[in-house]
Amino acid sequence: MSLRRCLRAYLLLSVLLTLYGCGEENQSETNSTGFAGLGQDADGFEHAQPSQTLNFPQEHAAHPDYRIEWWYLTANLEDADGEPLGLQWTLFRQALMPPSERPEPTPWAADQLWMAHMAISQSEQHQVAERFGRSHSQDPLNTPQDSQAGVISSPFHAWLDDWQLKANEEANSGDFSHLTLTAYSGEDESRFGYTLELTAEGPLVLHGKEGFSQKAANGQGSMYYSQPFWQINGEVTINGETKTVSGRGWLDREWSSQLLDARQSGWDWFSIHLDDGHKLMAFQLRGGGNGSGDSAGTEHNADYRSGTWITPQGDATPLATDDITLTPLATSAVAGRDLPTQWRLEIPSVEIDLNIEAPHANRWMTTSVPYWEGEVVVNDRASGEPLGEGYLEMTGY
Amino acid sequence: MIRVLSTLFSHYRRHPGQLIMLLLGLWVASALWSGIQAINATARDSYARTDALFDTQLDQLERRDGMPFSRAEYHALRQAGLPVSPMLEGDVVTQDGTRLTLIGIEPLTLSSDNTLAQANTSASFSDFLTPPWQTRVAPDTLAVLGVARENASGATPTLADGKVLPPLVLAPALPPDTLVMDIAAAARLLESGDQLTHIVASPGTLTEAPPGLTLTRAATLASPGQLTESFHLNLTALGLLAWVVGLFIVQAALGLALEQRLGMLRTLRVLGVSGRSLVLALSLELLLLGLIGALAGIASGVWLARTLLPDVAATLNSLYGAGVGQELNLPWHYWVGGLAVSLGGLLLAGSGVLWRAARLNMLELGQMQAWRSGYRRQLTLMSIGGALAWSCALALYGWLRFQPPGDGLVAGFGLIAALLLASALWLPPFLALILKVLAHLARRRPLIHWAMADMQLQLPRLSLAMMALLIALATNLGVGSMVGGFRLTFLDWLDQRLVAPLYLNAPTEQYADIDAWLADRPEVFERLLTRRSDATLQAATTPEGSRSLGTPIELYGITPGESLTPHWPLLATQQDRSSAWVAFSDGAIFINEQLATAENLSPGDLLTLNAPGANETLTIAAIYPDYGNPSGQVLMASTQLAARFNAPPSSMGLVLNDDANVDALLAALRERFDLGSDALSDQREIKRIATEIFERTFTITRALNGLTLAVAALALFTSLLAQARSRRQQLAPLWALGVPRTQLAQLNLAQLGGTALVTGLLAIPLGIAITWGLVAVINVAAFGWRLPLYLFPWEMAVTLTTAVGVALLAAALPTLRFWRASPRALLAEEANQ
Repeated sequence: MSLRRCLRAYLLLSVLLTLYGCGEENQSETNSTGFAGLGQDADGFEHAQPSQTLNFPQEHAAHPDYRIEWWYLTANLEDADGEPLGLQWTLFRQALMPPSERPEPTPWAADQLWMAHMAISQSEQHQVAERFGRSHSQDPLNTPQDSQAGVISSPFHAWLDDWQLKANEEANSGDFSHLTLTAYSGEDESRFGYTLELTAEGPLVLHGKEGFSQKAANGQGSMYYSQPFWQINGEVTINGETKTVSGRGWLDREWSSQLLDARQSGWDWFSIHLDDGHKLMAFQLRGGGNGSGDSAGTEHNADYRSGTWITPQGDATPLATDDITLTPLATSAVAGRDLPTQWRLEIPSVEIDLNIEAPHANRWMTTSVPYWEGEVVVNDRASGEPLGEGYLEMTGY
Repeated sequence: MIRVLSTLFSHYRRHPGQLIMLLLGLWVASALWSGIQAINATARDSYARTDALFDTQLDQLERRDGMPFSRAEYHALRQAGLPVSPMLEGDVVTQDGTRLTLIGIEPLTLSSDNTLAQANTSASFSDFLTPPWQTRVAPDTLAVLGVARENASGATPTLADGKVLPPLVLAPALPPDTLVMDIAAAARLLESGDQLTHIVASPGTLTEAPPGLTLTRAATLASPGQLTESFHLNLTALGLLAWVVGLFIVQAALGLALEQRLGMLRTLRVLGVSGRSLVLALSLELLLLGLIGALAGIASGVWLARTLLPDVAATLNSLYGAGVGQELNLPWHYWVGGLAVSLGGLLLAGSGVLWRAARLNMLELGQMQAWRSGYRRQLTLMSIGGALAWSCALALYGWLRFQPPGDGLVAGFGLIAALLLASALWLPPFLALILKVLAHLARRRPLIHWAMADMQLQLPRLSLAMMALLIALATNLGVGSMVGGFRLTFLDWLDQRLVAPLYLNAPTEQYADIDAWLADRPEVFERLLTRRSDATLQAATTPEGSRSLGTPIELYGITPGESLTPHWPLLATQQDRSSAWVAFSDGAIFINEQLATAENLSPGDLLTLNAPGANETLTIAAIYPDYGNPSGQVLMASTQLAARFNAPPSSMGLVLNDDANVDALLAALRERFDLGSDALSDQREIKRIATEIFERTFTITRALNGLTLAVAALALFTSLLAQARSRRQQLAPLWALGVPRTQLAQLNLAQLGGTALVTGLLAIPLGIAITWGLVAVINVAAFGWRLPLYLFPWEMAVTLTTAVGVALLAAALPTLRFWRASPRALLAEEANQ
């Protein structure tokens, strides 16, 4: 998830930065430049290193010396009638310049650009909204009124305008287990959004090597941890109608200054809640892997794959490229392109062979940089038995 | 074939002057086309900018205590979910002392369809947001910053206080004297700290003001709206007419060039060149010349536009994308249009000549009389063609009269085209008729009789040039009157709509109190309260009877006072202006022209108006012009509108005494009524800026209209000069017969000058007819209201003088040569006969 997000986020932000104000026709062009940009030189920024130690709750706040960062929540919920409902809330941060080139923190001067996305999906409905903001990393940040967007680690508070994820009333300072999420968009009958209570039923999970997640064979990567154990209850408003919902959520935290190899073109990222309590994160970066010298020599061999197998207690096992086999099984035409909406995911080391399918293909995010993000259902490959649910993100198509 | 071509071109080697004239004609015709394109672009730009000026397009929040907002308050509003954006506004002074408005915007939260957010620049967004930031500025503001147009991009001018502006980026859509930049850069320049001047929102996105704040809705002070669309339509008509003029000029130039080579063509045919090869060779020559002339014309048209009017290039830039300033990267239809002018003219002119070349009679050498009889047939055809075009114009006009307003735009253009064609076709027969009559009248004065007969002989060669002259003059006059008239209308309209120097914008419920309070202030001369309401026009009672209608209309209330009534134009009244205003104050209504035209109403008719809780039958006292309003409107006195229809106040104009202290009044008003800082707006400033923007377009239009006239003059000059060589042949025998040279020279001048004068005189009524067609037919067909018809006698006189002057100049050159020729040379001419 992380890498797909980072790609998409970077893409979004760089497109926004370079082409704001240009016509729509420029966007596809922008896409490709955006993806290529993810692999560009990152001099002047801090870099994610395998040796870094993560300290909580400080790491929940922003890391402005890194180029990009996000707070990324997806949730698979059900309404009172048992109808499945998916939602997404993401806060992206991008540094406008390396730390050495920051302007003086005069009023309104900005070195950080913020972007937030929200989406609610139920059956064929898919509603999307987007917000932007600015901040300066050297401005004092004690209350939300100090900045249009920002993140405070303790008590946790991440916001862009009124879209906010924060520690709820009962939480102690530094507690990351009881959060409230609110975000609304639109007026009157077109209003949509949610107010949700999030309760963590497990620990934080560090991906890769103690939180350093490698993103290409050449060693570059990001700092990446998740809270995959959210139990969520609350209200969702869609088409002016408010429903009571409950279900499971997954929050990703990731920051980096260079995530992708210059040859990588996009990613497919999965976050899966299995009904037996296991969680699975798996992604593939298309291109940039280690396989160029392989006998097969196909493009797939050059993909870089990674993942984490998480027990119901929160014990994490990193998965490498060779542990994971990902095969697209069927594509759907979405927004003028073909996207693989049915996958086979095999991880022999933990004896799973999954069929992962998006029940609704129209989860195209019509944001300033478009991408696909939606709910998936997970079945056993052999028996067809339902095993769980999750979220899939695809970029670069 | 090559040899035939080179023989054809050898003519130009011997007469390079003719080649130059021919290319000049082609060149200027397409340059004219380019120029019109440029002016259309500028005009469009002017509308957009004027609209931006009139319409702030943003709702605005202010604190009730009048204090400025801080950043924290802005953040709090955002975090309460309000879609607001911060804005900083202040003045900076340039080194030459000009005061410029500096606006700092926050592009991430400002709706991107706002004029201020639209840059029309290709600059990257992060450059706007991050140091050294950028200054967006319209090209016409560069001068006061002391920056040349060429070096503008990236320049960093220094202000009077020594501060340096962020690098400039041209944004033609911005109003003049306005700088737009990121709010962080603006905060540094204005040293505003954490304060900001406005908090704004896209219109309608805020349902109500948060506690402690006032919400001022985006106010459309007065939008020229359709008025500018009308001007644009008229400019399109101007473009089409200029194209027609260009065609005629090209045709005149080519026709003459080929005419003079008829002898050579005959010789070639006699030498055995087949008719087909001859036609092919001529076609190739035409195509080559046409392409050269057209491309040169288009290129130089842009160059001309850019040199004369630096803004035009920037405008083209913004319309057609980047690069026009540096290289000619114009859209394809621009080039096609320019090529079509030249090649279309070539085709028209060339086809006649090619047709003649194809069926050339090898034995028919120098038979003037035979040719003349052929020309008689041509005159008859022209008369018939002209008559057909006239009946076509009449039929179109008749048909248009029965069309509802807003229909028949194509027919309107057709009517003008038919008018032009008919007049052009009738010109040669008309000239021939005049010559015949004059020849008859002068039959006892042999010399004049000869002069008339000689003119009849010259007429076939002259007629094309004269037709071109007629059309060019008429178009020039028509467009001149249209543009001039439009300018006056626009200024009138501004006067009518912005009659009071100050306007007060306050919450509806406060107007009554404010009005009462102002009534006691000594510095207030007059209060002009307006009201608005919607109603249904239930029925109309005219002398023919009563009709029920059910049309929705707008009720508008004004205060008829000393300031307003003299400026409010009326088109038709029951008796006269003053009695109409008296009736108005007593409860009669005025209706706008749109309503009168649509429902066929006149002063004296009765209208039954229906609104919730009110039903009134009122008398129409007058009809007034309402340029730019698409819908029907009923005007009544504000007090009447309030009493009868309970209409709410919408704004108040204030006329102050000369010595009034505006700031003191504003301060008192704000203190007493809790109003926002811009509750009082100075309309004189808006009027001045709007006028300035439009004046620029008018200036450019006039310049190009002048160019049209110059082109027509040049075409006339070249065609007359081209045939002047043969004059000596005809004059020599008269000299030999004993007519003094002085008299012959005078005769020569009088012949051409007289023809040009007659043509010019004919062009005047035709020009008026074209103006009328533009303002009273095309505009009504497009919008349902007519522009007033203004005539400018001085311009007509200049145009006429130019035409006659050019003709005399063209005649003077050969006359001078004849004057200086030795008797021997003249006798030699005689021997050649």
